[in-house]
Amino acid sequence: MATTTFERWGRELTIAGAIVLFLLPLIGIPGKTYLTLTIAGLAMGMLLFLVASGVSIIFGLMDVINFAHGALFAWGAYVGFSIFQRLMNWVEADSVFQNFAVFLIALVAAMMVVALLGIILEKVIIRRVYGFHLFQILITFGATVVLVELIRVLWGPNDEVMIVPLTFSRNWDILDIIVYRYRVICIVIGLIVYGVIQFVLKKTKLGTIVRAGVENRDMVQAMGHNIFLLFTGVFAAGAGLAALGGLAMSIFSRQVYPDMGSTYLLFAFIVVIIGGLGSVTGSLVGALIVGLSYNYVAYLVPWAAAGVNVLIMIIILLIRPTGLFPAGK
Amino acid sequence: MAEPTPVQIFRIEEKRKQYRSGSFFLKIGILALFVLVPFVFPSYKTVDLAMQIIMFATLVASFDILLGYTGILSFGHGMFFGIGAYCVAFLIGKYGMPSYLNLALGFVTAALTASALALLISFLSLRVKAIFFAMITLAIAELAIVLATGLSHFTGGEDGISLSMPGIFAVSFSIGDFMGLEITGSVLTYYFIFLSCLGLFLLMLRFTHSPLGRVLQAIRDNVQRAEALGYKTFIFQIISITFGCVVAAIIGGLYAMWVGYVNPASSLEVMAIMLNVLLMVIIGGMGTLYGGIVGAAFLLITQTFLPDLQNLAKDFFPQATLLHNVLERWLLLFGILFILVVIFFPKGVIGSVQDYISRRKTILLGKE
Amino acid sequence: MSEAILKVEGTHTFIGQHHILQGISFDAKADAVTVLIGRNGAGKSTALKTVIGLLPSSEGRIMFKGNEIQKKKPYEIARMGIGFVPEDMGIFANLTVEENMRVAMLVEDEATAQRLERTLDIFSDLGKFWKAQAGILSGGQKQMLAIARAIVNDTSLLLIDEPSKGLAPILVDALIEAINQIKEYSVVVLVEQNFYMASSVGDYFYILDDGMVVHGGLMEDLVNDEELKSKYLGISKAAE
Repeated sequence: MATTTFERWGRELTIAGAIVLFLLPLIGIPGKTYLTLTIAGLAMGMLLFLVASGVSIIFGLMDVINFAHGALFAWGAYVGFSIFQRLMNWVEADSVFQNFAVFLIALVAAMMVVALLGIILEKVIIRRVYGFHLFQILITFGATVVLVELIRVLWGPNDEVMIVPLTFSRNWDILDIIVYRYRVICIVIGLIVYGVIQFVLKKTKLGTIVRAGVENRDMVQAMGHNIFLLFTGVFAAGAGLAALGGLAMSIFSRQVYPDMGSTYLLFAFIVVIIGGLGSVTGSLVGALIVGLSYNYVAYLVPWAAAGVNVLIMIIILLIRPTGLFPAGK
Repeated sequence: MAEPTPVQIFRIEEKRKQYRSGSFFLKIGILALFVLVPFVFPSYKTVDLAMQIIMFATLVASFDILLGYTGILSFGHGMFFGIGAYCVAFLIGKYGMPSYLNLALGFVTAALTASALALLISFLSLRVKAIFFAMITLAIAELAIVLATGLSHFTGGEDGISLSMPGIFAVSFSIGDFMGLEITGSVLTYYFIFLSCLGLFLLMLRFTHSPLGRVLQAIRDNVQRAEALGYKTFIFQIISITFGCVVAAIIGGLYAMWVGYVNPASSLEVMAIMLNVLLMVIIGGMGTLYGGIVGAAFLLITQTFLPDLQNLAKDFFPQATLLHNVLERWLLLFGILFILVVIFFPKGVIGSVQDYISRRKTILLGKE
Repeated sequence: MSEAILKVEGTHTFIGQHHILQGISFDAKADAVTVLIGRNGAGKSTALKTVIGLLPSSEGRIMFKGNEIQKKKPYEIARMGIGFVPEDMGIFANLTVEENMRVAMLVEDEATAQRLERTLDIFSDLGKFWKAQAGILSGGQKQMLAIARAIVNDTSLLLIDEPSKGLAPILVDALIEAINQIKEYSVVVLVEQNFYMASSVGDYFYILDDGMVVHGGLMEDLVNDEELKSKYLGISKAAE
C-alpha cells in the first residue's frame, strides 16, 4: 500500500496525540518533576523499543509470534550480570573508560550468547511450526518455561541486585534538575539502535531483501535468496536486541530475577499492538508512548501505571486495529 | 456383503462405544473413584488432591473449548477463573453474607461478568487476527491483577478475602457419621463441587457434539472454507469463546468455595494457573475434553508427590547433586516434555491413544 | 528440432488435498517460446510454481539443463538460471523500483550492469520511475517491472504467468514486442489465456485440461485448427 491520505492523516494524528500526551500531565505535575519523569519515560520507552523491535521484525518477516522473546531478554540480563561479577574491579573502578569497557564487554557477551540461543531456538524448535500460529505460540511458550527454569538452575531462583558500573549510577545536576546519567545513556542507546536498524533495512542490500521478504516471502525465494538462512539471521538479530534490552533494563531497574522476561514481554506486546506489528518505527513510537504514559501515571496514580498502557492499547485497537504504523503485507 | 461405507463404520463404532466398550467402563471407574475418595482416603491431602484434579480437569476442558475446538489460544483463562472466584467471594464474603441466595447470585454475577469481558476481548482481537487474542488476553490478564491488587479497599488487595460458607457447606456443619466417615460441611462441599463439575463437563461434551460444535471444528480446521460455506466464523468463535470463559468463571467460583479464600496470588496469578492449564491440556491432548482429566491428574499428582520423590532421591542417591537440582526444578522437565509433546504428539495422550485405537479398529474391520 | 532446456515428465502436484497436476509432461525447447494454454483451473499456474519449486511435486521428474530439480528448494532452482514472474506479479509495493531491481540482482557485477541497461532499454518506463515506490506504478508498469526483475540475472529460462492479464490492448502489444526481444537471449515458458498474445509470441503450445496435457505442437498448427480451438479454448471463428 502506498502512502494514502488516510495513512498520512493517521501519522498527523499520532504526532498530535503524542504532543497532547506529552503536555497533558503538566496539569497535575510540577514542572521540574515533569521533566524528570519525561526523561525517565523516554529512557524506559527506548528500552522497551529494544525488546519490541525484535518481536516486531521477527513477526514481520517470519510471521512468527515469539513468546520466548521475554526469556531471551532475561538471559541477556543474566549473562551481563555474570560478566559484571567476573570483572568486579572494572565495574567499581572510578574510571569512565573502564566502566564503559566492562559495559561493552558485557553487552557483546550477552548479545552473542543470546543470539546463539536464538539460532538454536529457530533451527530446532520454531522451524517445525512455520505457518501454524497456534503451535508457534505454544512451542515458544514452552521454550520460555525451559529457558526461565535454566536460569533458575544456573543462577539460582532468587532475585539479585544488579551490579551497576559506577559511572552509570551517577547523575548530573542541570539547573537544579537532577538528571540520572544512565537514563540519558539509555536514550542514546535506543536512538543508536533505531538508527542502525533503519540504516540496515533501508540502505543495505540485505535489509532490502528483508523488507522484500516481509512483503512476499515466496517471491524472494523465487529470486534465488535463501529465505531460511535469512530467517535464522533475523531471529538471531532479534534475540540479540532482546539481550541488549535485558541488560540495559536490568541496569535501569537495578535487579535481575528469573521471571523478569514475562513482565517486559507484556510491555513489548502492548508496544507492537499500538505501533503496528512488523514496523520498526511503529515500535519506537509505541514504546515511547508506553514509556511516557507509564511514568506520568505512575507518579499521579501509582497503582494504575500498568493499566494505562492496556487502556491505550484497547483504544488503539478500537480506532486503528492494525496499529499506528501498519506494516505492508 | 458389500464393504461397509465410512459412515457405517463410524456408526458401528459409535454403537460399540456406547455402553459396552472399555472406555465406557473406564469413565464409570473414574467417576466411582472420585465418589469414593473421601471414604477410602479421608486424609486432607488426598481429598484436596482429588478435588484439585476434578476442578482442573474441568477447567482444562473449558480451555480446550477455546484451544482445541476453536483454535484460539487465550492467556486470560486464569483471569476468568479468578473473576469467578472474586464474584463468589464478594457475594458471600466481603459484600454479602453466607447464604444460599448469595452463593447462587455470586455464580450468576460470575457468569455475566465473564461473558461481558469475553465478548469485549473477542471483539477487540478477532477483528484483527486470531493471534492477537493470545497477546491481548495476556495484557488484559495482567491488568486484572493490577486492578485486583491496586483497588485494595474494594478487592481486599494482596491479603484477599476469606469467606465462610452458608448452611450445609459451612466448615462447622456436620450430620454425623456415615460408613465410618464424618459427613462434614467440607465433605458436602466436595460432593457439591464434584457434581457441579460433572454437570459442566457433560454440558461441554454436549456443546462440542452439537451441530454448533461441528461448525466450530470446521472453522478451526479451515477458516476460509468455513467462510466459503457461508458460516459467519466470527459469530461462532465468539459464542464458543464466551461459553468457555463462562465455564472457567464458574469453576473459579467453585474453587473459592473449596479453598475458602481468594487473593490475587492464588486466584489471579496468570502465569501459575495458565501454565498449569496449558501443560495439562497439551500433555492430556487438545480437542478431546477428556485430555484434561489425564493432564490434570498427571500434573497434580506429580506435583503433590514431588517432595516425597525428592526425599527419596536424596536417600538413595545422596551424592547426585545434579539429580537433586533437576528434581528441584521439576518445571524444567515439564517444559521439555511440553515442547516434545507439541512437536511429536500434537494430539496429546488421549488424542494419540484414540488415533491408535481407531487405526486398530479400521484394520480389524478391514479383515472382517 | 532443437534440444529441450526444460523437461517436465509425469509430474503430480497436490495443493492441500486437491490433486491439481495429474501427471503432466511438457518440454521447453531452446530458442523458442512455449505457451501453456487452457481454461481456468487447468493447472497452468500450478505447473509453473512446481517448476520453480514453490509447490512440491509428489511424483515425476523435472529436468533443467540435464539436472533433476524437482527436489530442490526454490532459491536453488532460481540460482540455476530460472526466472519466475508469478500471476500476481509479486511486486514489493513498499520498495522503490530501484530496490525491487536490486533484490532481484543476485550478483552486482559488470555483466549484471549491462543486462540492467539492456532491460531498461526494453522497459523504458522503469527508468522514469526509478526512485518511485513500486506500489504506485500502473498495472502495465508493474508487469514490466516483474519481467525486468526476472531477466536482470543471467537467466536461461523465464517462466511468465499470464502477463497480459488485465492489460489494455495497446499494452498487450508492447508486451508482445518485449517478449519477442527477450526471446533473443532466453527460453520462455508462458502461461497465457489471451489467444492473440499466445499466438503472437508462441512457437510451441500445450493445452492443459484437468491437470493433464491434452494437446501439444507447433503454434502455427493450432492457429489453423478451428476444431481444437473451439473444443478447448472456447474460441470460434465468429467470435474472433
